This record gives sequence, C-alpha cells and structure tokens, in this order.
Amino acid sequence: MELTLTSDQELLRESTSRFIAGRCPLTTVRGLVDSHTGVPEGYLRAAADLGWFALMVPEEQGGGNVSGDGVRDAALIAEERGRALQPGPFVSMNVVAAALAASGPTEAQAALLAALCRGETVATWVPGDATADAGADGGITATPAGRDFELSGQADLVQDGTLADWLLVTAGSGDDLCQFLVRVVTPGLSVVPMSGHDITQRFAAVTFDRVRVPTGSVVGERGGCRRVVERQLQLACVLSTAETIGAMDVLFEMTRAYATERTAFGRAIGSFQAVKHQLADMSLSLEAGKAIAVAAVRAVQAEQHDAGEIVSMAKAWVGDTGIDIAQGCFQIFGGIGYTWEHDLHLFLRRITMNSLLFGQPDWHRERICRMHGL
Amino acid sequence: MGALDGRSDASSDGVDDYRRRARAWLTTNLPPLEGAAQRPTSEDLTPEVMAANRALQRKLFEAGYAGISWPKEYGGHGLSSAHEGAFLDEASAFAMPDFGALSATTFDICVPTMLTHGAPEFLRRFIPKVLSGDALVCQFFSEPSSGSDLAGARTRATRDGDQWILNGQKVWSTLAHLADWGLCLTRTDWDVPKHRGLTWFAVPCDAPGLTIRPIRQINETAEFCEDFFDDVVVPDTDRIGALNEGWAVTQTMLVLERGAGRRDAAIPPSGPGPMPEELVSLAQRAGRLADPLTRQRLARVHTTDFVGRVLTARIAEMGRLGELNPGLASYVKLFRGTYTPIRARLAVEIGGGPAMIWEGGDAKRAATSLAYLNGRSASIAGGTNEMQRNGIAERALGMPREPSFDAHRPFNEVVREAQNPKGTP
Ligand SMILES: Cc1cc2nc3c(=O)[nH]c(=O)nc-3n(C[C@H](O)[C@H](O)[C@H](O)COP(=O)(O)OP(=O)(O)OC[C@H]3O[C@@H](n4cnc5c(N)ncnc54)[C@H](O)[C@@H]3O)c2cc1C
Repeated sequence: MELTLTSDQELLRESTSRFIAGRCPLTTVRGLVDSHTGVPEGYLRAAADLGWFALMVPEEQGGGNVSGDGVRDAALIAEERGRALQPGPFVSMNVVAAALAASGPTEAQAALLAALCRGETVATWVPGDATADAGADGGITATPAGRDFELSGQADLVQDGTLADWLLVTAGSGDDLCQFLVRVVTPGLSVVPMSGHDITQRFAAVTFDRVRVPTGSVVGERGGCRRVVERQLQLACVLSTAETIGAMDVLFEMTRAYATERTAFGRAIGSFQAVKHQLADMSLSLEAGKAIAVAAVRAVQAEQHDAGEIVSMAKAWVGDTGIDIAQGCFQIFGGIGYTWEHDLHLFLRRITMNSLLFGQPDWHRERICRMHGL
Repeated sequence: MGALDGRSDASSDGVDDYRRRARAWLTTNLPPLEGAAQRPTSEDLTPEVMAANRALQRKLFEAGYAGISWPKEYGGHGLSSAHEGAFLDEASAFAMPDFGALSATTFDICVPTMLTHGAPEFLRRFIPKVLSGDALVCQFFSEPSSGSDLAGARTRATRDGDQWILNGQKVWSTLAHLADWGLCLTRTDWDVPKHRGLTWFAVPCDAPGLTIRPIRQINETAEFCEDFFDDVVVPDTDRIGALNEGWAVTQTMLVLERGAGRRDAAIPPSGPGPMPEELVSLAQRAGRLADPLTRQRLARVHTTDFVGRVLTARIAEMGRLGELNPGLASYVKLFRGTYTPIRARLAVEIGGGPAMIWEGGDAKRAATSLAYLNGRSASIAGGTNEMQRNGIAERALGMPREPSFDAHRPFNEVVREAQNPKGTP
C-alpha cells in the first residue's frame, strides 16, 4: 500500500513474502483450518527469527527493526500476512510487545518481553472495551484485595486467545483503567476456544471469575493508563487495517484477472460494462483504502496529535469497503466463487472478521464524534 | 513539462528559501483571507469583482509569482512544482485572484493543454496575457449532440487561405460569457473516422459571429452558456496542435480536466482538521447532536472528506512516480463524482426538512439546499461517472475496450446514419 519503500523495507517485504510462500502458503493455511492452533509447526519461532515480534521493541529490550520506523515495518508485514491470510498471532502479539516495552517493565515482564520477541511464548491483548463495540468500559473490573487485585468479568472476543500463554488485560478500576499481565493458567481464569466465522484465525472467550493477581502483574503505572491503552488501540487498528488491505488487494487482483480470462457470450466478461464498472468502483474503494491506511500508519508512527482520529477513519473506511469489495468479487466470480474449494470465502471471512475486531466501523465513527467534543 | 506532471522536481532546490520570500511578499502585498475561501458563482462575479481579480492577477504577474512552473520562454519561471506548491501553500491564507470556475479552466486545464501542444510562436504571444490576467479561457468542448462522446464534435472548421471559418454550436461552456478566450474543438475532416478529423483552436470570445448566451441552471444561477458560431474567422496561427490530430490534444486535456493539473493536488493533507462546521451547526439547529444516526452521518462526511484528500495526494504521487495514466486521473474524478452527491444528501438528512426552508434571502440557511443542487454536477461535468469507470477499467485495470460502432467509419457516414437510426446494430 506504500507507494515507495526504502531499500531496507523492500528487503523486509521480500523476505516476508518469501517466508510466507515457503512456510505457510494459502494451501497450507487451508489445510490447517480444522487444527487446534491453525499454525504450522515451528512457524512462530521462524517468524520471530525474521523479527516479526520485535519491531516495536527497542534493541536494549531484545527488539529491533530494519528502518527505524517500527510501526511502518509492522504494517508492511501485516499487509503481506493479509495477502496470504496468515494464521497465528501477529497483531495482538505486537500490541502486547509494544505495550510492555513502553511501560517500564518489571524484571519478570522484561524477561517475558524478550521471550515474546524470540517467539518462545505467545501473549495476546485483551482490551476492556475496544473489541466489543458496545463500548462500555468495564467488561472486566479490577478490585483491590489486600495487596493483590481481583479481576472479574469477561471478554467475548479475544484474538489468538487459544494460543496465548499470557494475556495483557485492560480492566476498569473505579473511574480509571489499569493493565495487568496475567498467565492463562491462573485459577478462576477460563479461556474457552471458540469456533468461528474466520476459520483461518483462532478466537477465544475469556472469563475472569475473581481471578487473584499480585501487584507485580500490574503493567506500567497503576491507573491513569487511558493514554497507553489508546496507543495500543491505535496500533491494533492500524495493523489489522493493513492486514485487511493486503487481503483486499489479492482478492481484487484475483477477480480482475478472472474478468479478463472468463468468457461468456463469446467475449471476456470484463468487456461487459456492468462488470467493468463494478471493478472500477471496487478499485476506487481499494485505492482510497490504501491512501487512508498509509495516512494512519504515518500518523501512528509519528505519534501525531490526531493519530487516533485518522486511525478510526481508516478502520471505518476499510472495514466498510472491504466487505463491499468482497461482495463485488463474489458477484464477478459467479458460481465457482460459492464453492468451498475456491479461496474467495476465506478472504471474505478474514475481511469481515477484521472489520468487527477492535471496533466496527460504527463504533469508530462514534469515536470520531467524541474526539471532536460532540 | 513541470506544470503537467510535476516531474521537474529534481530542481526543487531552494524551496524553503523560496517559500520564505513568497511569504514575505504575500504578507506585504495581498490582503489576508477572511473566513474560508468560497468559490464565487457567476452572480458574484460582477464586472467590479472581475476587474479587482484581474488586478490581483496582474500584481502576482508583475511580482514574478504567476506561472511559477511554466516555461521561462513564455513568461513563466520554469521552477519546480514543489516551488509552486510552496507558494500556493503560503498563499492559501491570502485573498488570491479568483475567477470562479474560470480559474481552473484557464490555469489548470486549457492553458496547460496549450503549453503541451501549442506552437511556440502562439505561446510566446498568448501566455503572457494569461499570466497578467488578460486572457481567461473557457472550454468550448461539448455540443448538443456530443458530450461524453467528445470525438463526435460537429462544429465545422473550413480552411480559407491562412485562416479558418468556424460554424456550429457549443454548449454547457462554463462562464463563457465572462471569459476572454475559448479553447474550441472542431471537425476539419469529415471523410475519415471521428478521432482523425479533429482540430483545436483558440477563439476570442468577442469574435464577430460568436454569440454566447448564459443558460439558467438548476441552482438558479446562469453559469454555463450556449455558444453559436456563425462564420467565426480564426487565423491558422491560433490553431492548437497539428491539423486533424486534435485527439491527442483531447487526451491531454481530459487528463488535466480530471484533476491531474490541479496545482495543489500533490500536497498531502496534514490531518482531517475540524468537523465540517456547517454540518455540525445543522445538527445542532435540528436538535440532533445526540442522535446516534446523525452522529454517524457527521462522522461519515468527515471521514469521506479526508479520504478524498489523501486519495488525491496519492494519485498525484503515483503520477509523479510513473506515467500520468489517464485511467489514474479518473480515480480522483470518480471519487468526487460518487461522494459529492452522497455528501449533499447526508447534509440534508442531518438537517432534516427544516434545513430545506428558510426565511427570505437568508443565504446561509439556503446553503444546504444549494449544495444539494450543486452536488448533481460533480457526476456529470468534466466527464460522467460512467466515462471515468470506463477509463479506470480499460486503462488502469486492463479490461477490453468497449466495442465501437462508429470509430472505424468515416464520420460523415456515422452522422448520416444517426439521422435515421435503425436501432442498435
Ligand atoms: C455544471 C456543468 C458544467 C459544464 N461545463 C462545461 C464546460 O465548461 N465546457 C464544456 O465543453 N462542457 C461542459 N459541461 C458538459 C459536460 O462535460 C457534459 O455534460 C458531460 O461530458 C456529459 O455529456 P452529455 O451532457 O452530452 O451527456 P451524454 O454524453 O449524452 O450522457 C448521458 C448519459 O449517458 C451515459 N453515457 C454516455 N456514453 C457512455 C458510455 N460510453 N458508456 C456508459 N455510459 C455512457 C453518460 O454517463 C450519462 O449518464 C458541463 C456540464 C455541467 C453539468
């Protein structure tokens, strides 16, 4: 989606796409839809070797990136991942890594962060409210209990929940938000693997029934972490949007090519104006999506004051138009697109799920109004 | 040519210095802009307003800030589009010369087309007049029988020694009644297929035999005109491009018309800025600021506005990086053509019925209705949405060209048949 890349970034893009083509092409993804993890053996460690989980972590904490622009590098990888509907943790894992790195981690947290960067363990992000677009804070609450805290509540849509060893949980505490790093094997915490619409990703429903966590599990400052949670939401949205753009781009290209190959009534279907015009409209939405997604990546990278707004615009625009494009592609493929064997439905599933994750378009539009004091 | 594709950016040294000097000059010489710039309509452009704007243009010209990226030999300054962009950026806070739609037709479409295809002798004579504000140029393209099908023009130019006699009719020519010149598409050979018999001319609007009549539009103003050519004499030295090779000129013009020539296109917006004030106050007046549907509409408009801006900058950047593909230019035009009427409709939905009635001549209150009406032109003027979709599909996406029933036959035969249509072939 970026029009120009530095040579370092070009190299990163190439090595990423080569890795994906070798290790986990779409045929492999498809073969894993019924597996528990959805991820091929050794995939995470190999991805970590390419630096996938270290991009937004400073070198002294075990991280690093190629261009000095960690967000842009991560978006580049997310886009490549979207092109082949890659399974397994990436968006949420990077959000957690960035969050820990920025939080002034304790010694134990720093060790975990280094392990995340090496792909030895998996952590995922459990936002208190952003996934469930109903928007109320306090899907999960934290109550002081002696020197510990007690977490209660539920998060119904946790990306990579079934794969994670650790959760970065955002909980409401009084009027404030607080973040905790919690091991999934803690008493009272249940992670229920869910079957789902997007068969190339894994989701879980997580319930906290008076889960007792020590003060040491608090991440960053106690309380007052709305600002850091906002940053995490921006990262999650911008990476998930880049992933959707990658998926849309491939899906659209498949469809464009099909329109030049498939014939009916003695001519290529792409010569019918009804088909041509649909393609032109889809291409317009996609190009506009790339433009706004790039603007969002830049704004988040630069920590621009209006980054949150631009991110919400990107998430809303791409969330809506992604689904429109997927529908248009179905239309142009005709019957073959409705078969299980065809990859179209895999793209539709991913694009749709990404549109719902981290706030669906309406939720982001409401957020934009609030940002303007309305 | 820098004015067209911005590819002269290699010479963008010293832009910061240039910007500083421009700012200093602007501050001492131009009045600051009060409120947001509103494009004047034909009604606003009274003789006094036109004269004042021409004087402003002359001031820019004399100070060396007109034709910044146009070639030196014709009175421009041969600087990069980055210089021009810097100047326009600085100038956005000042009252710049504004001739309504004629600003764009002159400086962004017609004259850049002339710069690409005109003879040096013509350009040396003509361009200084443009830069000093004495030659505003309108578009004599569309005709009663050909709009989208521009190559079907029937205005006839007949050779008479070293001059041409023009006969026929143009229509929908925006602000022709206020322009000094028109860029006119004519047919010079009827015995060849339509794309091969076209020739362009620059025609003075006060030429004997040319009658220009404003037409009342749906928004009650009379901005576009119908233009009757009765034995209008044009010297061959005012021909733009080669005889019968007008289609190449048309191609250039169409790309520019779709927005590729806009001097500010390549400046990427820094951020979305405030929500559209007029819509927020509409919602407020309707007591709907807390209504979730209204809030969705507000955010939709605000998002689409910003997406349009980043898209425009992206397409301009693509043009800079590669060829200025005519299909690419269509993206910006189609975005505008698609979302302008939607935006106008959302505004009406935000304000509801009360936004569509007002007391007396309350222009501010009438603005929603006016924007709603004006919103209809974006999908037609400058090439319809359908033509842009054809352009994107065929030129950017590689779809097969439309079958053509007329492009390979002598044009006079096509015309004869159109007069007795037998139905579709
Ligand atoms: C406000 C305004 C200002 C204008 N200013 C100027 C000006 O300054 N100078 C000037 O020369 N002209 C001007 N125009 C004219 C404008 O360029 C034409 O109206 C436009 O190009 C369409 O041509 P038409 O009106 O003849 O419609 P037609 O070409 O007759 O089109 C009618 C319908 O048929 C569709 N159609 C036509 N061909 C195709 C095709 N191949 N495939 C699919 N659909 C097709 C069109 O999309 C449209 O929906 C202006 C128009 C407006 C509304």
